[in-house]
This record gives sequence, C-alpha cells and structure tokens, in this order.
Amino acid sequence: MPSDVRVGSVDQDFEVAVRGSRSRFRRALLRNPAFWLGAVGVVIVVSAAVFAPLITSHDPNFAFRKEGLSASGDPVGPSALFPLGTDELGRDYLSRLLYGARTSLTVGIGANLIATLIGVAVGSIAAFAGTPRLRFRFGSRVVRIPIPVENILMRITDAVLSFPVLLLAIALVAIVGPSLGLVILVIAAVLWTPIARVVYSRALVVREADFVLAARAVGVRPARILTKHVMPHLIPLIVVYATLGIASTVLFEATLSFLGVGVPVPAASWGGMIIEHIGYYLTDPRVVVLPGLAIMVTILSFNLLGDALADAFDPYHWQ
Amino acid sequence: MQSLIRGPRAIAIVAIVGLAAGACSPGASTGPEGSGSAASPGATAAESQPATIPQGGTLSIAYQSDLQHLDPAVMYDTVGIAAVRLMFESPLTYDNRTTQLVPLLLTEMPAISADGKAYTLKFRTGINFVKTDGSVLREMTADDFVYSLNRVLDPNLKPSPSPVASAFFGNIVGASDVIGGKAKTASGIKATDASTVEVDLVKADATFSNILASTFAAVVPKELATEDTAAFDAAPVGTGPYVLGSYTKGQQATFLANKHYWQPGQPYLDEIDFKVGVDDNAALQQVQAGTLDILGDQIPSGSFTQVTTDPQYADQIVRHSLVETQYMSMDASQPNGGPLSKLAVRQAIEGAIDKENILKIYHGAGVVADCILPPDMLGFDPTCKPYTFDQAAAKTALAAAGYPTGFKTTLYTDTTDPDPKVAAALQQDLATIGITVEVVTQSFDTFLNTIETPHEAPLVYVGWFEDYPDPSDFIDPILSCASAVKGGANASWYCNQAIDAQAAAARGEVDGAKRITEYQAIQKAIMADAPWVPLIHEDWVTLESKRVGGFVIHPVWLYSLRDVYIKPGT
Repeated sequence: MPSDVRVGSVDQDFEVAVRGSRSRFRRALLRNPAFWLGAVGVVIVVSAAVFAPLITSHDPNFAFRKEGLSASGDPVGPSALFPLGTDELGRDYLSRLLYGARTSLTVGIGANLIATLIGVAVGSIAAFAGTPRLRFRFGSRVVRIPIPVENILMRITDAVLSFPVLLLAIALVAIVGPSLGLVILVIAAVLWTPIARVVYSRALVVREADFVLAARAVGVRPARILTKHVMPHLIPLIVVYATLGIASTVLFEATLSFLGVGVPVPAASWGGMIIEHIGYYLTDPRVVVLPGLAIMVTILSFNLLGDALADAFDPYHWQ
Repeated sequence: MQSLIRGPRAIAIVAIVGLAAGACSPGASTGPEGSGSAASPGATAAESQPATIPQGGTLSIAYQSDLQHLDPAVMYDTVGIAAVRLMFESPLTYDNRTTQLVPLLLTEMPAISADGKAYTLKFRTGINFVKTDGSVLREMTADDFVYSLNRVLDPNLKPSPSPVASAFFGNIVGASDVIGGKAKTASGIKATDASTVEVDLVKADATFSNILASTFAAVVPKELATEDTAAFDAAPVGTGPYVLGSYTKGQQATFLANKHYWQPGQPYLDEIDFKVGVDDNAALQQVQAGTLDILGDQIPSGSFTQVTTDPQYADQIVRHSLVETQYMSMDASQPNGGPLSKLAVRQAIEGAIDKENILKIYHGAGVVADCILPPDMLGFDPTCKPYTFDQAAAKTALAAAGYPTGFKTTLYTDTTDPDPKVAAALQQDLATIGITVEVVTQSFDTFLNTIETPHEAPLVYVGWFEDYPDPSDFIDPILSCASAVKGGANASWYCNQAIDAQAAAARGEVDGAKRITEYQAIQKAIMADAPWVPLIHEDWVTLESKRVGGFVIHPVWLYSLRDVYIKPGT
C-alpha cells in the first residue's frame, strides 16, 4: 500500500480509501456544481478578452458618428451593425465590453499576482524569521542585537490593513497620474495584506509540525525548510486566495475607474463605462447594466471557482 | 485672468459687465432691475409677466458645486454670482433680460466727461445696509462706495486678493499704487459729497460702465467688510433684497427676504434655498417631481433628449444661447519649432475638425462656431467663415506643410462632462489626418494651472464665457500678447503686435458702428493666424418647476433670481 494512504472512517468504501489525495481532490472538485459554474464563467470571460479581435471587427475606440449616434446625439440600441448598440460617443458597445474584459483581467491577474507574491513572502518570512540576532562589530566588541523581523513585518501589514484602502489608492493615482501600470501597482500595494495574514497564520502552525522539527534536527537550512517543506502545505491556501483575490481586484479596478482615477480614457474599462453613462440609467439602462453584468459575472465566476477550490482542498469535503 | 473657461456643463466661471453701446435691445426697462419687457435673442421661455408680481413663498435651487464665496470682492464663480446678487448691489446693473445697462444704486446713468476719463456717480439716498438678522445697520453713503472700490484693489485681502483687481479696476487713477501696496486709497476715487462719487480713469474706456455693473463694484459697509474676506463670506451685509439666513457648507444656504429693502414691491419671495452638492441627475428628478424649483446646472446629458422632447416639460424648459465660445487652442508659439508653431500646420488642422459632430455631443444645444465672437455679442460676423471642413484637403495641406506622416501631440481638457467626450472626438478627427493625440483630462483647478503655464499644453479644449458684453473681453484677456504670460488665459500663447495695436484702438473707439467694423476686422485677422479652432457656441438648457415665474437665463448673470416669483395657487 502506498505510504500516503489515509484510512477513512470504518464504514468507508475501501475503494475510496486507496485513492491518493490528488484524485480525491479532483473528484471533490468535479462533483461540485459551483466549480463548473465558476469555471464556465471564467472561460467565457478569459475567451472574451483573448479573442476580442476575432469576435468583433470594430475598433473599441472608434466613434461611428453617423450610424452610432441618433440624430439627437444619444447612443443607439442593438442592431446588425452593433449587436449590443453603441455608447454615448457612438462606439460599438460589444467591442467596448470585450476590450474591457482585457483591461479587467490584465489588472485582475497582474495586480493579484504581485499582491500574492508580496503577501506570501511577507507572511512566510515573518512566520519563520522570528527574532534573529544579528552580529554587529563595534571596534573589538561583537554585539548580537535581536531584530524582531516577525513583529516588524506583521505590524507593517497591520498598518497597511488599517489604511482606508480606496483613499490611499486615489491619493497615489492623483499624485502619479493614471495609467494601466500604475493602477496595477496601486492595487497590488494595498491588496497584499490579507494574503500575508493568512499565509502567516498557517505558516505558524506548520512551523511547529514534527516534520519541520525533524528537518531542522538534521541540519536543513531555514530557507530550504521554508521552500521545500513548508511551502507545499501553503500552496492550496495560496491558490484559493489568489483566485478569490482576482474577484476583489477586478472590483477594485472597476471602482477606481468609476471614480475617474482608474485606467485612463479612451481605454475601455467596465467601471469607467458605468460612470460615463450613469446619466443614462433611466433613459437607456442598457449602457449601465451591460458593464455591471460583466463585472458581476466575472466576480461571481472567480468567487465560485475559489470557493470550489477551497472546498476541494479541504479533506472534510472529500466525501 | 481666470474668468472663464469651462466647458459648459458646470461652468466655473463668470460674468460681469455690459456695454455702453447697447448690444441688444433699446432700453425698455421700467426701472432698476425692473420688469423690462425686451426679450433678448434666443430666449425661448420668455413668458409674459403678470401685471402685479405675486409675493411670498419659498424657492429652492440645487447645484452640484458649493458656493465658493459670498464676499463680492472675491466671488468669481457662477454659483456665487446668483447668491451675491441677492444680497449686494452695484451702482449699475443690466436690464433683467438684456445687456442694457440701467442705474441701480444710482439715480441716473453716470455722467461721463467729454474726454471719457471722468465718471460722476449720483447715488440714491435712503438705502440701508441690512444685517443678517434682518435689522438695519445704517444708511449707505458715497463713502461706502469709495471704500468698497479701494477694498477690491487692496492686495492685503485675506486669504487672497480680488481676482480682477487689476483687470477690471487697474485703469482707475492711482489704482496701481494700491494694488502694488504703495497707497491705501486710489486718488482717482473721490466722494465729492454724501451722495456723489467721481471716478477718474487713466485712459478713456468705453467698457468701464460695465465694470460698475459687476458684482465686484458692489457696495459693502466699511465697518463689517474688513480685509478678512473669509469673515465677510460668513456674515455678508449689503443693500440687496435678501439677507443670508443660514449657511451650512456643502449642504444649504438660505436667503431670507429683506424687510427693509428700498425698492417697493420687492423682494418677491420670502425665502430662497440654495441646495449645494446635489448630483445633477438627482436634482433633475426632483424638479420633475416638483420638489425642487430650479435646476442650477444644465439638464444632464443622459436625460437631455428625453426631457427636452417630452411635451409634459415643454413649458418648464428654460433655454438661452450663452455668450460664449468653445474652442480648441493650438500653441501658436510652440517652442523648438514644434509643428504647431507653423501657420500652415494650424491652418490644416482648422479644416480637420467635424464641428457638427461636436455639436451632436451637446445634443444639438448650440450652434457651430466658425469665428471668435459669439452671436449676441457686438461684432459677431456671420460671414466670418475662414475655413471649411474637409479632412482630405486637410491631410494634403498637412503633408504640404512638411508633415506627410503627421506628428504626435497632447490635448488637455477638464474632467467635467462632456469635455472628455469632445476631446475623444477631436482625437479621432486629428487621427484621420495623421496626428496622433494623447488626451489628458484634469480636474478644473489643475487644468487651469496647466493651461496658464507657458507651452505646457500644445492643444487645449476649453471655453470662454463673457465677463461683460463687449468684444474686448474676447480679445484682450485671451488673445493678446499681455495675456500670453504665466497665469494668463491665452491658452494658445498667441501674440501678434499688429493685432494688439488694432485691439487697443478698437477698445478706445467711441463711434459704435466703427467699433463693430474694427472688431470684425480683428477677429478675421486673428483667424487668419489660426490660434484656435472655434468649435461651438453653446446653449444653456435647464429645467424649472411649474411653480416658477419670471426665471430667464440672463446673458451676463446667467441665473438672475431676484426677478423670480412663485406663481399663486401652485
């Protein structure tokens, strides 16, 4: 019998008991309708972003002044030429939505990747660094001064957590000026803290495990313990939080663009499309509802996917 | 000079003064701020006024922006002007529908000396300053007017001096000494008796009567209006028909009827409430529901077509052409031989812009602009149409000017709707002739700072709204060499000495007909140099509730609430 077999409860089907954790994970995932809902949504949104130029032939920033605007200068509804109508400048709304998916996902994945890297680094280093004593030489004397790395890192995390995140982001964008890259950096700079906290608390538990003690006893260096022995136990957690994080990042980008400090015009952004057309919410709700729906579907999909992953990683859900 | 400039939907600018040479209609006024019956061109809501104006009631008006100042010495925005004119009065004013100057605090129009340099003002007697608690402070005298003018010139006003001290009043003898801190009072402003003031000018200036009608010339009481304008903002005291009842910043200012007002039969209302910080879409719905009386901003873009075409609101729409020009400026003296410094390049761009499309962005509320001066302005010339829209020809002309593959540049505008949309339209037009434009939108304050910094902005989308109804206000502050300096409003950094000389001569010209010809020649000469692409002259379109009577858009004041009443039985 393979060494990693876990024995379930007494009345458990023996066949199940011999499955490896990997196949149990897969089975739990594939049986979860939330996973399928989320996965389908994510595939749709990602395809929309990737294949935007194939789905529509219109330039998202080109204003069709004659066909795309009514005589009174208002957006026109769906037609053969514009499947979802146009916006207030006569630009094809389907193209705006598709290219808006590119903006959302670029920011969502880009910012979240950076935030996750920072969060994992801070959380795991804080858990394992503790309070090392560093040697300083003053003339002939050698002094060992304790540096509370753990405290410093986690108090910085607390400080960033306690900032009003939106105000901080708005201030940063206002100082530097809006651009796609800056929006990614700003979001990453404020959204790394939750993942740092979660990774830190799980790493604290893992650090006390016997196999870590064993590794330490045979002289494995701390950095290697962290990467080879501890990190694998953190991966499920990171995957779940990174997935859920994409949802909050997409929302955050939409919020910044809604407030006018997000991705600069004329690039399409769902949040920006809502604020551009907010005055039409009574007379032509289409132009507000469509980007709102796009934001909702994207966030819901990533959230469902993240939840399904979390459930699948959890052994209590394997049955 | 910062007068101006805003794109239309939330003008942050202002207006003042009129023109002696009667731009619009012959004076048909029945008295100071009286119910003049002459409707100015473009007024569509010119309802006939009842024989006796109904009294009483509370009027409410909502704005997106807050009041910036209530002290007339420093107030220079469109929300503030409506409020300040309720509480303060100047020697002159305009007829309530036109730009005809009429006496207000004076018994008659000023007597002007033969050389045009000395103005004698005869003030009415028996006019009282009334405190914010509604009680009489004391009677106003000629000394108060002398003090008020010197106060506007005072460089020590806290927290900042008047924005127009030098632009409006610098021509008074001795004014520059006061502005420069060398004197406390200007020698050219003298009270000759308790009700007479003489004002002497350095140079004859036909537009000075307009300055006397501006809110900056309002009379304030010496003992209360000190150098601390913030204190006077908080407790303003004047001679007007209303007094400040209460003001909660960011929420509401309440103006109550002045029971001691000097004009019989006024004020018409018991109370006027300014609700500030109200979203324009929310305010529109309140006016439609009848819970708000006047929309302080324009009808927002998203609801514009629906509201303006709905017969239900037909008699509630208030619409008037603004005396303003929206334009794209081009940096005519771009440093290092930049492409825009070349006349042929600017002339090519003139033909590349689809102005009808830009008018469409404004839902057709306005007319296309081909020249500098707007209709309703003295000197407007319908035959001034120097460039025609032809993008193919423009592309050829740009190639002939040495840019067959175009160039890259930047267009600045502010964030207020619909300016970013117009910028996107300009961007697309310029792209068709090969010019790649990056659009930068900035909040209004930042934007003003950008365009007032030399050569910071190669292209600018902006507008200019009249300070006073005289063509000099469309040349001197925005297209003269003197305004092409840091802090000036000449966004195209255009400077032509020959034009400056012509404009100086036209400004001093006393023959009205000749003056018009001169300004028409000047604007054609400027357009030949192509510092601007004039785009549109906008209409102001807003909504009033069914109860409101007597509300019109004034060509200078914009909103003139002292003539508004509540219809009985509503």
